[in-house]
Amino acid sequence: MRVTNMVPDVQYAMQQSQQNLSTAELQVSTGLRVNQLSDDPAASANMVSSLASSANVDQYTSNVSSVLPQMQTADSAISSIVTSLNSAITLGTSGASSSILTGNKQTIATDVESVLGSVISSANTSYSGVYVFGGSGSSAPPFVAASETYTSAQGSAGTPLTTATALNAGSVTTISDATTGQTMTYKAAAGDTIATLQAAVSSAVSAGTLSAGTTAAINADGQLSISTNSSTAGIVVSSNDAALGSMTAASGSAVANAYAYVGNSSVNTVQVGDSLSVATNIAGNQLFTSGANVIGSLSKLISALQSGTTDQIGSATNAVSAALAYVGQQRVPLDSTITQLNSQESYLSQEKVTLTAQQTALVGVNLTTAATNLSQSELDNSAVLAAAAKVLPQTLLDYLK
Amino acid sequence: MSLSASLSIAVQSLNAADGALQATNNNIANANTPGYTRKVVVLQEAASTTEGNLSAGNGVDLTGYQSVRDELLQTQINQETQAQGSANAQLSSLQQIEPTFTTSTQDIGTEMSALFSSISTLSTDPSSSSSRQAVLAAGQNLATAFNQASNTLTSQQAGLNTQVTQDVGQINQLTKQIAALNPQLAALKANGQDGGTLQDQQDELVLKLSALTNVSVTQTQDGETVTTGNGTALVAGSQSFALQATTGSDGMQHVLDQSGNDITSSLTGGDLGGTIETRDTTIPGLLNQLDTLANQFATAINAAQAKGYDQSGDAGQNLFTVSSTVAGSAATIKMATTDSTMVAASSDATSGNNGNLANLSAVQTNTLASGQTPGDAYASLVYQVGSLTSNANAESTATAASLLQLNDQLSSVSGVSIDEESANLITYQQAYEAAARVVTTIQSLFTVTMSMGTAAAE
Repeated sequence: MRVTNMVPDVQYAMQQSQQNLSTAELQVSTGLRVNQLSDDPAASANMVSSLASSANVDQYTSNVSSVLPQMQTADSAISSIVTSLNSAITLGTSGASSSILTGNKQTIATDVESVLGSVISSANTSYSGVYVFGGSGSSAPPFVAASETYTSAQGSAGTPLTTATALNAGSVTTISDATTGQTMTYKAAAGDTIATLQAAVSSAVSAGTLSAGTTAAINADGQLSISTNSSTAGIVVSSNDAALGSMTAASGSAVANAYAYVGNSSVNTVQVGDSLSVATNIAGNQLFTSGANVIGSLSKLISALQSGTTDQIGSATNAVSAALAYVGQQRVPLDSTITQLNSQESYLSQEKVTLTAQQTALVGVNLTTAATNLSQSELDNSAVLAAAAKVLPQTLLDYLK
Repeated sequence: MSLSASLSIAVQSLNAADGALQATNNNIANANTPGYTRKVVVLQEAASTTEGNLSAGNGVDLTGYQSVRDELLQTQINQETQAQGSANAQLSSLQQIEPTFTTSTQDIGTEMSALFSSISTLSTDPSSSSSRQAVLAAGQNLATAFNQASNTLTSQQAGLNTQVTQDVGQINQLTKQIAALNPQLAALKANGQDGGTLQDQQDELVLKLSALTNVSVTQTQDGETVTTGNGTALVAGSQSFALQATTGSDGMQHVLDQSGNDITSSLTGGDLGGTIETRDTTIPGLLNQLDTLANQFATAINAAQAKGYDQSGDAGQNLFTVSSTVAGSAATIKMATTDSTMVAASSDATSGNNGNLANLSAVQTNTLASGQTPGDAYASLVYQVGSLTSNANAESTATAASLLQLNDQLSSVSGVSIDEESANLITYQQAYEAAARVVTTIQSLFTVTMSMGTAAAE
């Protein structure tokens, strides 16, 4: 073939060689084989899901870090409660002795009251502002001292509320009963009045949600009064209805050793793995007021110690023992969750390493290979330039001088 | 044979050597001129003279100059140039689109992950106003990422629209110049002469035209007839037919032929073909994928919102505002609220409940109406952009290599070799010197002859 001008071929060779050199330098400096989508479209697409998985793993790890201390706090609180209940059982056993003096029973009753206070304190444990035994409504202490009567802020002798007073649609009034351990939640519908609320209270009494004798009535001061009508049965009432105003405990109506649960029964769950979610809180009513009823059993023991017979004290002590066993059962899932979170934390840490390795395999470059490529590209480029320098200036004219 | 006849042969020889030197000189001068084809001098032995039984040569005739061409190779170069023009136009646009979909701190995939992470964080404390605000901020960032990606694509489309107008202008200018050369070339060829410089110029113009669009060239007695790939006449004889760029009902520049017919979709190859392909097929395809993802994602999040309750206990409202039709969704998607209490975290209307966040999180793993998860749909888009760019790059590289080879082949036929011309220079120099020596010799013989009579008289 007749060769006339080698410049275009030399230029093309230099361009290719410099492009290879540039690519090799970029790979070494970034540590990446894929620096733009077109370098490897399939790897780039796979990186999208891999990075999303990495972000999820980071988030799950963060969730574990948030939830684990909360669970450990709850477990620690339950541990304290177990200790308190054991102490109460010991005290109850002493009080059930036939030889004990009445004065000493009163002292023991006071000690058990102190134990109850400790249990309530543990049941109102919070972590970072979240009450761990308050269900999902965990921004306020879930166990509140109960009173016999609550009255509304609205209404007075001059402008009394009446049964025809309209309630605001959507407003919520709750009555938490310390004796039954249950809560009546009433959400006003359009057209509802205080009479509708009264009917709801009556229905809740019939259903056993509220203690027998609990009523809602307009008192002599023209206020709505919700009362158990019993000095031993306490309730806690709240309302966000502007027609009623805030509900407050009537002065002097506090019921001794009665605590109502004002949290809810909902349990929040948090995802800590692609297919693993754990509960982040515990509904306190399930743990302390239902089943063997921890708080109720302690209240009964106090009453028995204060005025009961030896048999009644013994029976109440047995009830506390049953409550202790119940708490032990309820603690199992919590401990299991803590174990699960700890092992999940290790798994996520390993998963992160695996994903990072996967991403390196997808878009990363083996540094040894990259360095070798760079060295080879530099050599190739030098060879091309050297060849160009040698070949281009030579013509026949050089020899005709 | 007389001395005069010999002198005449020597003069012809001088002229031939001079003409050959001129061709060599011109070749050397144009060694680096684009489109130049080397010229060779055409020498022919002069008819001999017969006197009786004696036949004597009459020297050499310089009959003309001939360009050394290969029309087939030239046609192949034109075709490859069209392919390269198209690939380069597509590559240039796609390389500007590519960074938008490359993993960064602000690409759609990253922002989508950030939104789901913020929802997950909120699940650990659903009453936290800062966590709720973080969900809205992540949603806004994702909406912005969609907006920017859409804007990048539509901006590219607008830029390509301008390019269509510019390309049409250049095509019209080139076809006009080609048509102007046709009569002169036709006249030369009618006389049996070589097209020479004019043909070089016309070939160069056709090559430039090929870089702009797919053209077909046929030789007629009136010169070259040039048509587009679909047969629309651009040049016939001395007449050129201007194309026209006009704004269509879709807001895009359409190309009309001389009769006003819309030939946009039939234009392929060259910068114009590549530009139209990218503007009318590639970018709309990517935009449709992007719009579909934005629309279906926003719809899925809004549907999950509707299953829950906001912090006030009211039924969840839309978190995203998005077009009711797919088209334009990515460009217009935005947050429907700036009120963080509107995040419908609760499944039972109580403020501390996080039950509905599971529904919002599930959007990440549930399939959209397209049959893909949002992440997979975005990954498909990423693959599409990467693959289109990679293919355009491969096409551009392949055509460049092919063109280099074809140009090497053409150059081996038509190109000027300085070494070869240097050798020719020496050859013709020697021929000229030899002819001059013949003239000198004949002059000397004339002198001797003339002095014969003078010497006798003395």
